[in-house]
Amino acid sequence: MVTPVLLIAVPLGLALAIPLFALFWKGAAKYIPPVALAFNLAVSLLLLPRVLDDPLIVSIGGWRPPFCINLVAGPVGVLFSAIIALVGLLVSIYALDYIKEGATEKYHTLYLLLLTGATGVVLTGDVFNLFVFFEILCISSYALVAYLRDKAGIESAVKYLIQGAVGSSLLLIGIGLLYGQFGTLNMADIAGQIGSASPMSLFVPMILMITGLGVEAAIFPLNAWLPDAHSSAPSSISAILSGIAIEVGLYAVARVVFTIFGASSIFLLLAFVGIVTLLVGEMCAFSQNNIKRMLAYSSIGQIGLILFALAIATSYGVAGGLFQLVSHTLAKALLFLAAGYMIYQTGSSQISALEGMGKKMPLTCLAFTIGAFSLVGLPPFVGFPSKFLIVRAALATGETVFAVLIGLALLGTVIEAAYFFRVIQVLYFKRENELTETHEAAFGGPKPNPGSKEAPVAALIPMFVLVALIVVVGIYPKLVTDALNSAAGELLDRLGYIRSVLG
Amino acid sequence: MSFLNDYIYYIGAFGLIFVGLYIILVKRNLIKVIIGLGILDTGVNLFLISVGYITEGTAPIFSRPGIDAERMVDPVPQALVLTAIVIGVAVLALALSLAIRLYQHYGTLNLRRIREQKW
Repeated sequence: MVTPVLLIAVPLGLALAIPLFALFWKGAAKYIPPVALAFNLAVSLLLLPRVLDDPLIVSIGGWRPPFCINLVAGPVGVLFSAIIALVGLLVSIYALDYIKEGATEKYHTLYLLLLTGATGVVLTGDVFNLFVFFEILCISSYALVAYLRDKAGIESAVKYLIQGAVGSSLLLIGIGLLYGQFGTLNMADIAGQIGSASPMSLFVPMILMITGLGVEAAIFPLNAWLPDAHSSAPSSISAILSGIAIEVGLYAVARVVFTIFGASSIFLLLAFVGIVTLLVGEMCAFSQNNIKRMLAYSSIGQIGLILFALAIATSYGVAGGLFQLVSHTLAKALLFLAAGYMIYQTGSSQISALEGMGKKMPLTCLAFTIGAFSLVGLPPFVGFPSKFLIVRAALATGETVFAVLIGLALLGTVIEAAYFFRVIQVLYFKRENELTETHEAAFGGPKPNPGSKEAPVAALIPMFVLVALIVVVGIYPKLVTDALNSAAGELLDRLGYIRSVLG
Repeated sequence: MSFLNDYIYYIGAFGLIFVGLYIILVKRNLIKVIIGLGILDTGVNLFLISVGYITEGTAPIFSRPGIDAERMVDPVPQALVLTAIVIGVAVLALALSLAIRLYQHYGTLNLRRIREQKW
């Protein structure tokens, strides 16, 4: 019997078993995350067709839903858990070879805990449980950002921790206020009673919860930690933080706004915040010289676009937002993984140091280029249908505000294209010879590392699986649109959610 | 005075929360910021407990006959606080260990002087 409980129980159990395995054989640690995540992927894919019409409700401890902690494996939850498991699996394969230094078994334990927390957040149907899983996710990511123990990593981890801890406290105050008003923690139960409360008494908990979760989702005024944390972490962790952690934060914001509060009055505000986030992120990314910081700022921009799409709050808009979320996860994970080995080979994360890498690491650079094209939204790749869907949704509302905002979003995309093409130009179209000469003439320094060679197979496999997914889903988006539409339906249909949980 | 009697715990809880936030925003020393986080946590926990508190209520256990369920304090916030305390301890422990590392790298805990990474 396949139940959604396994999605949380198995990786959690295995994560805590890793130190035990490592006692007997130190090399065993790194093979456990791929096994656990492959299991999760299989379970999620088995569950996905079953939950598309009717969510699966699991009550822990056998009590009926308002009285127990419950898991809601609806289309949103299972879709997210499948993506988390897929990207997690690929990144853990990448990490087999990439993570060599330091206490590797601790890395793998924390990595699996991070993904368990993310899976828990998307599956739970209880607000306090959401907070607990969120903290599991956050605490493991604070520790993983500091994994290399270098100056930059520790500094970013401290910043991230302080901001994240304040955000979690705000979230917890919001949850406390909700419990004080309704006497329940079950999301569906709160959602059912929320109509009876006065709007003013709901405003404070809603703002507190959105702000608290917004820190993790890196929505504009709350995103100061992101570029530091994402650029100082090991690249495999950057891929997970950019590809999964902030998306999970955004999912939680969407769940709070759509399902719990059903707050249609703040959608327009969220759309504005989304566009501001997008423009700030893209403009900062444009001015970066460090490739990982550039990718981190680009994640802020993408989060803004997804928030904007969700805030359109029509079924097209939400489906487009979720699609953009999927395509950003695939493309950004690919970009960070590719950038990880480029930095490893050149020994520098400056964009100028990557000159001529297109010849030395052709496969890695090809993967990077495809990821960049997909993120910008060029046609054969998955970024195109997702952005197209958002544009169509914004125009289909027929409101001038959304038409203007989508125009600004497209302006953001142009900026995005500009900085990605600049990197691609550096990778391919600078001839190495003249470059080395000018380099020597200008700085008298050593030549760029002549031993640069292709990334190892364990890194190329996950990259090219991501490339294949980006191309296949881009050419044939019908593969995912059913799941996305039914996920959008779940987020928008509050009454259906309440009815399916409370029976 | 009845206002004070009814709301004294809430006033205390939000007082602690604001003191904590003030310390986090204003102080420069990382250790003080971490102490601020601790005070913030305590305030939140006190707030959660006061949500479920009834004046002169009893423990939510049917220990002897004649105890009325109406007079019992709500056990759920207490369970929540237990969890929140554990999480708070984990965060503080991690923060302190990071502070040790930070001091080893920079030789200072003054956050205004630790500014290698900028926008």
